[in-house]
Amino acid sequence: MPADAVLAGEPRPALSPARLLPRLGWLALRVLTPIGSVLLLWYLAIWFSGLPAFVIPLPERVLDVLWVDRAFIFENLLYTLQVATIGFVWANIAGIGLAVLFDLLPPTRYMLMPAAITLRNVPYIAMISVLMLAFGDSILSKTTIVALAGFFPVLVNTMQGLHAADEVQLDRMRILNASWWQTFSQVRLIYALPSIVAAQEITGSSSIIVAIAAEWMISSTGLGYVINHAMQNYRGDQVYAVALVATGLSFLIYSLVHALGKRLDWRTADPRRG
Amino acid sequence: MAAISIRNVSRRFGDNWALRPVDLEIASGEFIALVGPSGCGKTTLLRIVADLQEPTSGEVRIGSDTAAEARGKRLLGLVSQRPAVLPWKRAIDDVRFTQKIAGRVGFDPGKVLREFGLEGHELKRARQLSGGMLQRVNIASAMAHDPSVLLMDEPFAALDEMKREEIGEWFDRELTVRPKTVLFVTHHIDEAVMLADRLAVFSPAPGRVLEVVPVSVPRPRDPSFRQDPRFVTITAHVRELLTDRAEAA
Repeated sequence: MPADAVLAGEPRPALSPARLLPRLGWLALRVLTPIGSVLLLWYLAIWFSGLPAFVIPLPERVLDVLWVDRAFIFENLLYTLQVATIGFVWANIAGIGLAVLFDLLPPTRYMLMPAAITLRNVPYIAMISVLMLAFGDSILSKTTIVALAGFFPVLVNTMQGLHAADEVQLDRMRILNASWWQTFSQVRLIYALPSIVAAQEITGSSSIIVAIAAEWMISSTGLGYVINHAMQNYRGDQVYAVALVATGLSFLIYSLVHALGKRLDWRTADPRRG
Repeated sequence: MAAISIRNVSRRFGDNWALRPVDLEIASGEFIALVGPSGCGKTTLLRIVADLQEPTSGEVRIGSDTAAEARGKRLLGLVSQRPAVLPWKRAIDDVRFTQKIAGRVGFDPGKVLREFGLEGHELKRARQLSGGMLQRVNIASAMAHDPSVLLMDEPFAALDEMKREEIGEWFDRELTVRPKTVLFVTHHIDEAVMLADRLAVFSPAPGRVLEVVPVSVPRPRDPSFRQDPRFVTITAHVRELLTDRAEAA
């Protein structure tokens, strides 16, 4: 297809079988190569370490556990997902909300940013313990720790993004006597989107990890609890099974956020899309 | 269109003068070029007229309004060297965006973009357009709400010589169709003489107006004016003013 037709906004042509097969092959390679590498390393670790099966079970044993205990694992997965999702949402409300507040009222930045930095640097283990004392083994304590762990990257990236707007664009809005809200919502926020999306990639997948860590410490439900319970019963195979599920879930969330982010990122979006 | 009155306008940053007191009267519909070396305060003066900077002294009037009042009424249009076209908007949507923010529709965006030589490119985004096309969209967007005054800060500086001449000629013709009062900052003496009714020639920093040189040739000007003895005389005189001033400094 000639370049000018592409530039003129013509839709992309459908892929022919001759072009589709190599692309599918390449995609399969990209998926299978890391899986194959992990499996190879896993078997090598078993053969050369000499550790017992409850420490390093065989991969096929782990898959067997995943199937046999699927209902139990799935039930706790849903709980972890709930904690991670609620915490993720609150992390964004806090992070983006604070960034907008700092932009609207600059003195609040000097008042509240030190507190945000302090919260960021308090060890999570200490924080979880305090929350446990305050709220007990409740969804509130776990979602709070997920939100506290995730809000800072969102805050910092949103702040940075809001200052990314081109000065000529801001001059244009000033000369048109645009309101603060018009300038914010129609120029600055859109300029900030790539930075906000980058923060979601970090916060999204880390929400799962932090939720599991919190459950491991203080919960009687969730994947973290399952890991803790399996360790106490020398069920290494179940630990590995949950680790696989958690890794897969984190990866899935990262991929979804990344794919959504690519559509929202105006810098790389297809210019032919309306 | 509105007249611009600049009285005793100066700008100082700490102990440094960016602009010495300037007095300039611009008639309604007149095209004034501000010409001078880099750092002499041309852009500073333009931004003061645009109410994007406060003067240290003096006053700007646009018609009967202060600069702030004129900006509040959306009587001003600004064309910067770097196009202010929003990168995520198509050309036609960017022009409509100005109209939406200003709450005023000056013209039909599609029709004007076609008149601006952009037929077939209305749905393209900034990175799909050449430099010249993008600057035309930029000018269309700046004029979309029908401002009385157009403030232009080296709008063609990023273009090559031939493209600058071409777009300058196009813009000259456009102003006969949509007359505006224009304040135009440029480094290029020949460009100023081709486009302007008068040139305000600035000294090196801290800038002040050395002389206001008239170009008493009706607009739009034919490209052959570049070979006219009057063109040669005026550009030579302006160059002499700037050279003498540079040597004296």
